[in-house]
Amino acid sequence: MGNFGQLMDGFVVALTMHHVMIMVIGVLLGLVVGVLPGLGAPNGVSLLLPLTFTMDPIAAIILLTSMYWGALFGGSTTSILFNIPGEPSSVATTFDGHPMAKQGEAVRALTLAFGSAGFGAMVGVVVITLLSGWVANFALQFGSPEYFAVYFMAFASFIGMAGGSPFKTLVCIMLGLAVGTVGMDTISGEGRLTFGITQLTNGISFLIVVIGLFGIGELLLTIDEGYKFEGVKAKLSLRVILRTLAELPRYWVTLLRSALIGCWMGITPGGPTAASFMSYALGRRFSRRGKYFGKGEPEGIVAPETADHSAGSCALLPMLALGVPGSATAAVMMGGLMIWGLSPGPMLFTTRPDFVWGLIASMYLGNVIAVVLVLATVPIFAWILRAPFTVVGPLIAIICLIGAYTVSNHIFDIWVALAFGLVGYVFKKLDYPLAPFVLAVVLGDKAEDAFRQSMLSSGGSLSVFFEGSLVATMMGIGILLLSLPLLTALFGGLFRRGAEEGQTSRP
Amino acid sequence: MEITRKTMEVATAVLTGSVGALICYGSTENGIGWGPGGPEPGYFPFGIGCLILLGSLATLVQTVWKHAGVHHAGAVPEEPFINGARLRLLVAFVLPIVAMTAISAWLGLYIGMGLYIFYTMRVSAGFRTLTSLAAALLVIALNFIVFEKLFMVPLLKGPILEYFGIY
Repeated sequence: MGNFGQLMDGFVVALTMHHVMIMVIGVLLGLVVGVLPGLGAPNGVSLLLPLTFTMDPIAAIILLTSMYWGALFGGSTTSILFNIPGEPSSVATTFDGHPMAKQGEAVRALTLAFGSAGFGAMVGVVVITLLSGWVANFALQFGSPEYFAVYFMAFASFIGMAGGSPFKTLVCIMLGLAVGTVGMDTISGEGRLTFGITQLTNGISFLIVVIGLFGIGELLLTIDEGYKFEGVKAKLSLRVILRTLAELPRYWVTLLRSALIGCWMGITPGGPTAASFMSYALGRRFSRRGKYFGKGEPEGIVAPETADHSAGSCALLPMLALGVPGSATAAVMMGGLMIWGLSPGPMLFTTRPDFVWGLIASMYLGNVIAVVLVLATVPIFAWILRAPFTVVGPLIAIICLIGAYTVSNHIFDIWVALAFGLVGYVFKKLDYPLAPFVLAVVLGDKAEDAFRQSMLSSGGSLSVFFEGSLVATMMGIGILLLSLPLLTALFGGLFRRGAEEGQTSRP
Repeated sequence: MEITRKTMEVATAVLTGSVGALICYGSTENGIGWGPGGPEPGYFPFGIGCLILLGSLATLVQTVWKHAGVHHAGAVPEEPFINGARLRLLVAFVLPIVAMTAISAWLGLYIGMGLYIFYTMRVSAGFRTLTSLAAALLVIALNFIVFEKLFMVPLLKGPILEYFGIY
């Protein structure tokens, strides 16, 4: 019960007026980011990050995580009302959410989505509360070979479980690692891959990469897809909201199954998007009402939403406890921790318990605030979204460019972000996965350091990765994950069908 | 002008492949072998470059393979990567952004964003000149307050604003 006492201390930190205000502001900003297509959670958090450099780390992380919750919730609003996912992870919500809204039950659909999302997030936070201390203690025994094995496992699981082309995932991870190595080498002090361009000596910030790939890239994609709102009007009535909330426990099987899928996908770096698709596909297969999925079935909303949010919160567990983020947004936040001078990983639990437990306590409160605020602001956002995209688009573009500039006050960074924007647009259209790219940029340095340090200690022999039982197990799992696409190809259609259901492309 | 998905797949794979080759080349300047104290700085990037090359080649082969197969089966033609109308839309959206960046580098971000908003409101969205001008000024004022006053993050001012004594 050690965690419980620490959690209470965390509540003392989180429940000050100042921090609650920050949560409200963060959630509201997050809702804006989540609602607007072209601005997503990873990009929103990276845009806000430069503004937090001067803030106290606890206030800063509460602001960023609250924004993350807001963005996760906001994405569902547009999915249901306009059939346009505000976030990639809420694509699966459109399948049943929008048909239900069209049948005149928009408020019921929204309440179902937010209610189950809130449940999913809570399960995720409880999992973090119970497991993070334990995982961190476990990870304290890690040396550099173990760390390299953890990174290896993270990347391998992307290649093995992504469902798309494993080669495209490989290219994305390696390009991300390459971006991470640009600039000064931490061990020898030499400039690497700069090709004589002085602006590259300081390296390419992961923030620029995220703003380009996710922000500008998503914007171009929205233009390309031809953006038209055919919205459903929603009139909020408290009675319908309460009745729907009372209806929620009836779907307890779906809720639990989806929350479990979400937690698993969040802790292993599958991320919220994969979790919501997987949960939807499994829901359709296992639910007794599976054949109604796609026609406005409540369980078709509950399944992806619960998984999306439990994955979203669980993605923070490996970031805090191991220093390996479980999603693109978590990767950005981890970069933030390092900029604020904190080193994510097991040591954080002993050096800054107030930070860790304050953050975890704020997750409970932040999600409650998010559920209330998202319901309250539905009419406002529905109104904002009626503005034509020819007006909203340029505004988002300006936000992205200024965001790129504020990272280190260089115009050069804006050009880099624009270039990554084009890359993001093309990659997204050709089904290259972007989350591993970002993860690799953030983890690149750490993975390389871990590798080189293990090599130094072993005198250059790769056998160091297979000597201890812990390292060997992790490397073994990694190699197994790497060979998963091959095994799947060998054993044919058994897995393939499930993977393809999870790979339904954007509408 | 229509670009097929196959063309784009091949072009992207070739591009990522060349990036991989470039990384391999770049890392040779740092030494890619084993020094006395373990791997030299270029060792890790060189491996990365090789893996990018490998992945790109495999994607290339996969694309060509798949399309050869489709040809024989006589299946329905797949959707193009982008068609002419969409491409024009996209270019019309991107070029002003590039222009804004170029202008911002020269005259500062505030003037860049003002001109950009004025242009998009007037030309793309088709508002009246006065409305567009007001919108541009509003955006500048909002950003000025948020960045210079609230968050104390100064943006690039450029020679014109500096001439008027705004730093």
